Amino acid sequence: MLCEECGNNQAEVIMTTVLNGQTTTRHLCRECLRKYQTENLQNVLAAVLSTLVSKSHEIPDITCPRCGETYAEFQKSGMLGCAECYQAFRRQLTPLLARAQGHSQHAGRRPPVSEEDQARLSRMEELRKLMEAAVNEENFEEAARLRDELKAMTPAREEKE
Amino acid sequence: MSYIIVSSRVRLARNYEDLPFRSKITKEQSEACVQRTLNALRSLPQPYSFLPLRDMEENEKRSLLESHLISPDLMDHEECGAVLIRMDQQISVMMNEEDHLRIQGFGKGDSLAEAAERAFSIDDALQDQLSFAFDPQLGYLTACPTNAGTGLRASMILHLPMLTQYKQMGKINQLAAKLGLTLRGIYGEGSEAQGNLYQLSNQVTLGRTEKEMIDAVTATARQISEMEAIHRAKAADRDLTALEDQLFRSFGLLSNARLMPIKEFMQHWSNLRLGAAMEKLPISTETCDALLTAAQPAHVRKAAGAAVSDRETDAHRSELIRQTIKNGG
Repeated sequence: MLCEECGNNQAEVIMTTVLNGQTTTRHLCRECLRKYQTENLQNVLAAVLSTLVSKSHEIPDITCPRCGETYAEFQKSGMLGCAECYQAFRRQLTPLLARAQGHSQHAGRRPPVSEEDQARLSRMEELRKLMEAAVNEENFEEAARLRDELKAMTPAREEKE
Repeated sequence: MSYIIVSSRVRLARNYEDLPFRSKITKEQSEACVQRTLNALRSLPQPYSFLPLRDMEENEKRSLLESHLISPDLMDHEECGAVLIRMDQQISVMMNEEDHLRIQGFGKGDSLAEAAERAFSIDDALQDQLSFAFDPQLGYLTACPTNAGTGLRASMILHLPMLTQYKQMGKINQLAAKLGLTLRGIYGEGSEAQGNLYQLSNQVTLGRTEKEMIDAVTATARQISEMEAIHRAKAADRDLTALEDQLFRSFGLLSNARLMPIKEFMQHWSNLRLGAAMEKLPISTETCDALLTAAQPAHVRKAAGAAVSDRETDAHRSELIRQTIKNGG
């Protein structure tokens, strides 16, 4: 069998690549394999370097819509301005917490749920299942209706006193 | 091993959903934080005293600090800071600390689970009526994200004179760190642990339940206590006379001195408590632990009843120690 890359030499190596869960197999000659590996390594290095650079130099320009805390302020003080900051900076905070704490999902005590909320939550769960079923049956009209109903039931973050 | 574990404490950090955290809070909102907390806790079964820090004498605040009922951070923010303390001093609720609320439950000796129950009772009473900032993924939200999750810090105070004397603390620190716990001296600065007292506490607050954290701290504290007990037995085996000499010298000094500075007291107190735990000295570990707090500077000044100088404080301290030893117990 000839090399799939250059089509000249005899293929001696089978290269298997897994990318985003997709497996591809290619038959290559030694020369093309070497070329491939060098390119690949350069790509990987470039990717690693670019994340390192962006981490150390670029401070994301985000401001909490509720309290006005900026991400730069948070980086300086280590303190957040309000509960909403966790939403505003979620993308940045999640990996930070995962690294510092070794976990990123809370376990343990939770605020009590009222009977009314409990009923609402189970109704929402029911709607979610119906919506999934509708999508599977390709009944998109029904799925869209259920989605809107779900949306209407999701509480807006309102001020409680 | 309860005679090595001096005390247990659990702290919960909580914030009200609708109020900004400390860096963005207004004075009015801080007042609201105090008012709603007091309202919600109005009907607690046992008596509490409510103390706004700005109305308190400096020495009074320091004495609460020495009892761990308030934190240094709360003292630095006395304008809006306040504390609610149960009369038996087993529960304290700090308001307008780094977080809106820092709920503390205390226990003597090895009693972390009981201390936690005390803190949870306040948490439950508040949550029945008010909403805390909570996220299904990140748990209870705190001003500093490193406390998010359970917001729980479980800690135990350990008396480790022999592990210190035999230079084992570096090893113990590494063991604790591997388990996600930290161990540090509670009195004194830097690496120095006055009185050979150390605090063991959890570092991780996210992803593990309160019970898991409490169990981890308790199990490790007991393990460290066993190591301390082994070193105590070894010291007695190696040279009992030298060990007794060390204990009785401190006992003699504390029984007779007329001026006792705090630093010197802490050093001899460690031998006093070691002697009590090993049943070599005529005093109980409970009396030693009560004396430890009572002999701290603000406590001595408070008992003296007047503004006293450092020298007079040292004289009053020595008097207190002599009386305590004389009464035995």
